[in-house]
Amino acid sequence: MPSTRRLAVAGAALALGGLLAACSGSSAHLGSGSAVKGQRVKGGTVTVAQLSGASPNDIFPLSPATNSNGYNENLTIGSWPYIVTIGDADKSIVNSRESLFSSLIYSAGNTEITLVLKPWKWSDGAPITTRDFMFVYNLLKVEYNDWIDYYPGQFPADVSSVATPNSHTVVMHLTHAVNSAYYTDDILSYVPLLPQHVMDRESLTGKVGNYDETTAGVKAVWSFLQKQGEQESTFATSPLWQVVDGPWRVSTFQNDGYYAWTPNKAYSGPVKPVVSKVVFTPFTTDAAEVNTLRAGTTAAGGLTIGYLPLNDVKQIPQLEAEGYDVAAVPTNGVAEVLPNLWNPVNGPVLRQLYIRQAMEDLIDRPLLVSKVFAGYADPGNGPVPVNYGQQWDSSAEKGAGLYPYSPAKAIALLKANGWKVVPGGTDTCQKAGTGPGECGAGISAGEPLAFTMLYASGSDDFDEQNADIQTTEALGGIKITLKGEPFNTLVATTGTCNGSSHPNSICSWQLQQYGYDPYQLDPNGSGLFNTDGVSNYGGYSSPEMDSLINQTEYGSSASAFDAYENYAAQQLPILYLPDPDFIWMYKKNLAGAFPENPFSVNVQPENWYYTKPAK
Amino acid sequence: MSGYIVRRLGQSVVVVIGVMILTFVLLHMEPGSVAKAILGNGVHVTQLRLAMFDSLYGLNKPLYQQFLAYVQQLFHGNMGVSYQSLQPVSSLIAERLPRDAVLVGLSTLLALVIGVPTGIYQALRHNRPMDDVLAGTWFTLYAAPDFMEALLLIALLCVEFHVFPPAFPGSVTSVGGLFANWKALVLPVAVLSINSVAGFSQYVRSTAIQTLAEDYIRVARAKGLPEKLVVTRHVLRNSLLPVITILGLSLPDIVAGALIAEAIFNFPGMGLLFWQAALAHDFPVMLGGTLVIGVATVIGNFAADVAYSVLDPRIRYGRS
Repeated sequence: MPSTRRLAVAGAALALGGLLAACSGSSAHLGSGSAVKGQRVKGGTVTVAQLSGASPNDIFPLSPATNSNGYNENLTIGSWPYIVTIGDADKSIVNSRESLFSSLIYSAGNTEITLVLKPWKWSDGAPITTRDFMFVYNLLKVEYNDWIDYYPGQFPADVSSVATPNSHTVVMHLTHAVNSAYYTDDILSYVPLLPQHVMDRESLTGKVGNYDETTAGVKAVWSFLQKQGEQESTFATSPLWQVVDGPWRVSTFQNDGYYAWTPNKAYSGPVKPVVSKVVFTPFTTDAAEVNTLRAGTTAAGGLTIGYLPLNDVKQIPQLEAEGYDVAAVPTNGVAEVLPNLWNPVNGPVLRQLYIRQAMEDLIDRPLLVSKVFAGYADPGNGPVPVNYGQQWDSSAEKGAGLYPYSPAKAIALLKANGWKVVPGGTDTCQKAGTGPGECGAGISAGEPLAFTMLYASGSDDFDEQNADIQTTEALGGIKITLKGEPFNTLVATTGTCNGSSHPNSICSWQLQQYGYDPYQLDPNGSGLFNTDGVSNYGGYSSPEMDSLINQTEYGSSASAFDAYENYAAQQLPILYLPDPDFIWMYKKNLAGAFPENPFSVNVQPENWYYTKPAK
Repeated sequence: MSGYIVRRLGQSVVVVIGVMILTFVLLHMEPGSVAKAILGNGVHVTQLRLAMFDSLYGLNKPLYQQFLAYVQQLFHGNMGVSYQSLQPVSSLIAERLPRDAVLVGLSTLLALVIGVPTGIYQALRHNRPMDDVLAGTWFTLYAAPDFMEALLLIALLCVEFHVFPPAFPGSVTSVGGLFANWKALVLPVAVLSINSVAGFSQYVRSTAIQTLAEDYIRVARAKGLPEKLVVTRHVLRNSLLPVITILGLSLPDIVAGALIAEAIFNFPGMGLLFWQAALAHDFPVMLGGTLVIGVATVIGNFAADVAYSVLDPRIRYGRS
């Protein structure tokens, strides 16, 4: 899954988190939506609430690297789907029915990919051919560093040559072997096809040419399309954006982010839109959106689909009375407390696995799920959410996970490693040294087991969750001092710290909690836990982990993922936390929208239709 | 007077430049990387990408060069581009300012229409039961947080009785759209008015009480001038001076927007624009906003001074 989608959900979590609050007493479990029975009705408008702060700002599907908006994909994916479409109802899987590929064959030791395109057409009647693939490839081959979804070393940097034996077959030769599942799920799932016969131009008035076949031409076309992509006033009108191959096209776009999709009547795919219009309406805050849900149809025609912050779950009965059903969608990410293993003061302490294990033992995750998240969260047993998709949960994550809540176990672990444990106080290292039963390298006698935890402020659920963590850690004598900071400040001041570089200016933080790290479809920890991972801010480093992650990306073993997952669950490169679900309310007479997987919520409305009660 | 105006204009320019420099320096003193704050901490946010961001927006240059570049573009009417929305700051402000002018302007007008007569009425019934009842009412409403008033009104009039919509439709982007959806304007205008009414009425009441004790009021009454004329010609005019001050200071409020009302009533205005920019380290928007608010403050004060002299001919500005 592209970073745009991952960012989108990350942003959503933050936005929702802003209003999440203690919802004590309620632990009722939501359904994940249910199939609506009744006669299918053709037509109708579906109005979907946009999460606050989720307005897109760029319609060109290959957004530049300097664009921070993770929601642009939500605008464009209906018009220009990716070669590989992911998400199928409640399954986090490849949706081959709606994908552009007819077949994907990995050969020559997984260094060669043969992609056969379906015989679909653009909305103007022109066939979709390998020339369209080559257009995208040529642009990205030159400009991949300026592409928001480029992952270092991957497509198209890893493509050594491309051949197109016929108009529907592409053969890519890679510079290295890849894991086919990973490459399909996480790499090809963010490469769209674009109409070369429309977009290969350097100006709106100029003619379409084969500019993409030279480097200079690519630069001119890229620059032109990027500039056009930011012109909000022409999103729905520019001829550049009128030729699509997805089931939808953008028919309205207003500043402030209100936009609408209408069906692409020439869509070649098998799932044709049934509703006649989908409106995405922005809200300034969660409170405004929830008020609109509560007011029902008097509020600007009402919302067909809206989200519900977790601290508002008590309103579900009233909303059901207003004609809504409820669905919970798991989050595609891993929630965490991030330890800085290279903090100048207590990095050596956090580098000790037994310390991280004791800290994880002291996090009462079931309590957090029931108390803070009202029952609507993944238990957070390891690096992969177990509610995320049945295909991913390994043995280490089943049940209560490897580290069920146990203060007694944590205390025993600390004592066994030379610490004087003072429940309710602050533990100190009693036996310095690196031998058995001693505190470990770099830890001096008398050193306290105390940390400052920075966390993203402005979120009631984070406040409550972290206060609970502070309380339960104290039961093992681990003193946590909490300090809230605005999310962006937290991000801006956090540097990547590792063994070779941990300057005090960016590595003075000890623990951080800012939400969750979003995943692509294959949640393999690449970038998070590998030694040179871009988001490995805490500096965790293990040759074993690097090798296992590499296997998930480049190896051919089908069991590579389980091996990685079990190891990451045991090693605790981060402290795992429960990951809250998203709660959606949708009109009872709307079918096909839920149950839904975390990757395609509200972006596959071709599956939606209204119903009327069966007679 | 003209000399005074010229001097005030000169001072205003200095003030605005000072505000600009101060804001620029303070914003750039914020700790951490702006590029990281904007692009986030995802696995795709490489050092190269951060460097491209810095290069694109000139953040890799020395601070004085960044400032000079900013001033230079300002002289060309360019306030920069928002790091977040990628739209020109001037467009973002131009979209939101008229809407906020309508929202805050209407609420101020409503507050004036209610507050000034009420203040005069209270002054005329000074220390009588109705004075106490009205003062108590206004103080109670003034003391209540506006977000609470907003939520109570929504619960009652939107959720319970479905009289008004609780939020502006997301499709409303123009002033015309606001009036076309006038029902959605009612509650935010009402909420914003409540606090202002209390201010206006109590200022007017206090000044009117003092005015009523003046000799010229006694003279007017002794001459047999009808009470209605005494009130409208003498009391009202002199009691409006504090209102002028408040109105003058309200101009920057219009420009700065009404954050709480905007947040609750789904009204994307200036307040939310600046708030979100501040959270996201979106410097161009913050700078543009501060500049516009600074100019509005200067203009508001200046307009209040001029209005003083119009309302009270005894006030003359000039060299001492």
